[in-house]
Amino acid sequence: MAWLSLILAGLCEAFGVVTINKLNNSRNWQSLFLLMLGFGTSFLFLAYAMKTLPMGTAYAIWTGIGSAGGALLGIMIYGESKDWRRIACIALILGATIGLKLVA
Amino acid sequence: MNANWMKVFVGAFFEVFWVIGLKHANGFWTWSGTVISIMVSFYLIIMASRKLPVGTVYAVFVGLGTAGTVISEIIFFSEPIKLEKIMLIALLLVGVLGLKLLTKDDKQEGADS
Repeated sequence: MAWLSLILAGLCEAFGVVTINKLNNSRNWQSLFLLMLGFGTSFLFLAYAMKTLPMGTAYAIWTGIGSAGGALLGIMIYGESKDWRRIACIALILGATIGLKLVA
Repeated sequence: MNANWMKVFVGAFFEVFWVIGLKHANGFWTWSGTVISIMVSFYLIIMASRKLPVGTVYAVFVGLGTAGTVISEIIFFSEPIKLEKIMLIALLLVGVLGLKLLTKDDKQEGADS
């Protein structure tokens, strides 16, 4: 259950990242509500997962799914650059971030 | 250094405050500071992502926030300095610098920008 909750938290975070784009395109309360719903739900699932999983592990996986998912959805939905150098840099940042959360 | 990247960096700076706040806050003022930091950092990354790709902004925001938190804990909460932490932070900065050099400023230019 904790792992399922963690994966859901990551997916909600990725959804939250996408709604940042939505808010930029149409600045209204509905978009802001979706953004807060995405990140809010994500934090709730993360908090639940962290009750049983080690904090560093939970954080690392949550960040990884959220940022990688957000970047992928940005490429698919909003036509962000899929230059391999950009993807490599994002992967480098993500790898280092996950590593830092695991050694902390 | 242009204004949009500046917003990402300042946003990441505020992220460090609320991450530390979530862990260490213990009263009305520290919790208020934490909540205000969350709002400031999210406001800044939303503003930055109006001109820069969201995937880039979010990865840099999360990465720099994590690096900043690790450094703060070493400086203020006397966490041990480990070689692997320093190396990971260096790798992360290479990625941030790479993205900054690769990213055109205005995503409206087209699907390739």
